[in-house]
Formats: sequence, C-alpha cells, structure tokens
Amino acid sequence: MRITILNGDPDPSTAFQVYVHDFAQRLTAAGHSVTTLNLRELNLKGCSGCWGCWVKTPGECVKRDDSATVCRAAINADLLVLASPLTMGFTTALLKRSADQMIPLIHPYFVVDGGEIHHHARYAKYPKVGLLLGAGGDSDAEDCEITTEMWRRMARDLKSQLVFAAVSDRSAQEVADEFARVA
Amino acid sequence: MNSLVLLNGSPRGERSNSMKMLARVAEGWVRGGGQEPEVLHLAHRTGFARAVKAFAQADTVILAMPLYTDSMPALVKSYIEALQPRTAMAEGENPALGFLVQSGFPEARHSRPLERYLEKLARRFGSRYAGTIVRGGGESLQMMPDCANEKLWARLRTLGEQLAREGRFGAEALRAVAGVERMSALTLALARLAVHLPIVNFYWNGMLKKSGAWQRRFAAPYAPPCKL
Repeated sequence: MRITILNGDPDPSTAFQVYVHDFAQRLTAAGHSVTTLNLRELNLKGCSGCWGCWVKTPGECVKRDDSATVCRAAINADLLVLASPLTMGFTTALLKRSADQMIPLIHPYFVVDGGEIHHHARYAKYPKVGLLLGAGGDSDAEDCEITTEMWRRMARDLKSQLVFAAVSDRSAQEVADEFARVA
Repeated sequence: MNSLVLLNGSPRGERSNSMKMLARVAEGWVRGGGQEPEVLHLAHRTGFARAVKAFAQADTVILAMPLYTDSMPALVKSYIEALQPRTAMAEGENPALGFLVQSGFPEARHSRPLERYLEKLARRFGSRYAGTIVRGGGESLQMMPDCANEKLWARLRTLGEQLAREGRFGAEALRAVAGVERMSALTLALARLAVHLPIVNFYWNGMLKKSGAWQRRFAAPYAPPCKL
C-alpha cells in the first residue's frame, strides 16, 4: 500500500516528530511504500480563495510553491495520514495551510452526496484518510473529538472517508498496525 | 463604553464575503448604541499584528471567517495560535468573544463542527461567549448585487444590534440568519436533477470561459481523471 504522511508539526525537536518517524518506519517494515512530507520544510504560500485552481489553471494552484508536491503525493496514495500535534484545540496552522491548498484535487461543480451538497470529483480515485494527533499540551478528549469531526468532513469533501483517528499516547507499532488494517 | 473590534479572517481581505457580512453587523452595533468598531483584516501583516494586540484591549471581539476545507482558514488558525499566551489570563481578563462563519455550501450544517470548536475556544480564553453567526450560500454574495441581499443584511444588522444591547447574539436571530440547516428530501431530489443543468454551475462556467480554461475544466494533472 502507498502511504503518504503529511507531518504538520512546525517544531523539529518534539517527541511527536520522533513518534511520526517511528510510525513511518514501522509501516515501511510492514512492507508499505511510505512517503513522509515534513510540511515545515516546504514552501507553502497558502490559499487566498482566488478560485484560480478551479477556473484559471484547472487542477493546479496558480501559486508557484510546493503545494503541487503535496497534491501529487496525496492523490497518488492509497492512504493519506494527516499528522499533527494539537495546539489551541486543533491541528496546526501548518497542516491547515497544506489542506487549504488541496482544493485543486476536487472540482467546483456540485453534486448531491449523502444528503448534502458537495463538490464533484476530479480524479478517478482518492486516498483514504487517517488522522494522527499528538497527545499532550492543553488538549483534552473533547478537543480530539471536535478536531476529528472537522477532518471527517474534510475527508468527505476530498471524495473519501476518514478511516482512522489515533492519538500518540498509544504505541507507534499498535497504531501503525491499526492504520494498515483499516486502510 | 463597550469597545468592539471586528476581525476579518478571510484570506481575501477587504473584498471578502466575510467582510460584507461583518460590515452589516457593525451597522447594527452602531444602531444599537455602540461606538464605531475598529475593523482589522488578518490577511494584512499589519492588521494581523494589530489584531493580536487588540485582543488584549477590546471589551468584545467578533472574529469572522469563511469555511475552508471544513474548518477555519490556516490564517485564522495562525491568529488563534498567536493568542496562546492569553489562555493563561484570569477569568474575565479576555474580551467577550463572538464569531461569524460563512460557507459556500448552501446548508448551514457544514459549519457546525467549526462552531463547536469556536464555542470551546471562547472557554479556553475564559471569555464570555457571544455566539456564532453561521450562514451558508456565501459565495452567492459575489454573484449578486448587494441590493439583492437586503433580507440577509437586515438580519445581520439585527444581530449587531442585539450584541450592542444585550452583549450576545439572540438564539432566534441566529436560527433565522443560518437559512437552510439541511436540505429536505424534496429539495435533495430536485438538487440531484438540477446539478446536471448548466444553470447550477453558471458561476464556475462563466469564470472558466472568461479565463479560456473551459476545455481544460476537468484537467487532472497528477493522476488518472474521474469518469464523467
């Protein structure tokens, strides 16, 4: 299975970085093809709501930055893992910046999906989505639940589904096994 | 006198739908006896820096944002992270907090998980929670002349007035401004048929044609395209 991990931790010296690295290695050891993108090392200019990726250069952000690398790695994966510590009750602004720039992966046209209006697909296949949250800080179980709810909806808008959400207070091996099983 | 700071969290800045809506809340606030509020745009570097300072000084802050991939735009999350030191303040030291979330989806329910987050955010700061204005169908504000949205503007003014007089948005007015919470079975059945009609996507088609990208509208640069 092809797995892309987007690591949204802006601080290279945290325990969560070690955890994500360990998690990736265990998935590789289990025979998966794993690509980890450390978002802090990429040049991501962020979405400014111009709709250029839908109406000017369909499928591509009009900004010249590394968001194309993220989109390419995401759409070609079987499983997309969004990894981030929780700060102020949600995943980091860094992870959100890359997610905001993923709308080129879908199409502006509307469809009815699951009783709601959503967007049309652009690609034949979308990755399943998993969420890996860093434990600790000032966050509690309710923060994890609210965060998971928002990303569950985001996965639906990415024409996919959130198949797993885990917190890093469990062993990396256990979490890697579970991700690989459900994806 | 109770001071109000209005924060526009849209990456589009002044020309955003969030700002159009916020401007009507401001009008209602003044009509309700409040002094002219300060308006800051987080999309500008100076506005962002000023907004961090203003949070420590204002009596009431309303933070407005568009829904981006089902949560707050990264810009707004950056602002929230910049306020982290303020969570250490004693109860009541931070301003009363209210929010405005508008989305392009026609139904309000897309924004409800974010609303839940924002309500908890107010608790994090020990702030009094003034409520969250949720409104769907926001992108239509770009398509229609302002005079076509008088009903919405009136509802937003009412909310601003309530904020000035009572310190919070009224529950009934919040329900009214939200519009459709979720579509009925009949509306969905009609929508299923309507999405195939060109009229539904005229906004996108108009822009695609204008930019000469119409032929490439289903371009899939990174992987095999979907079957139509």
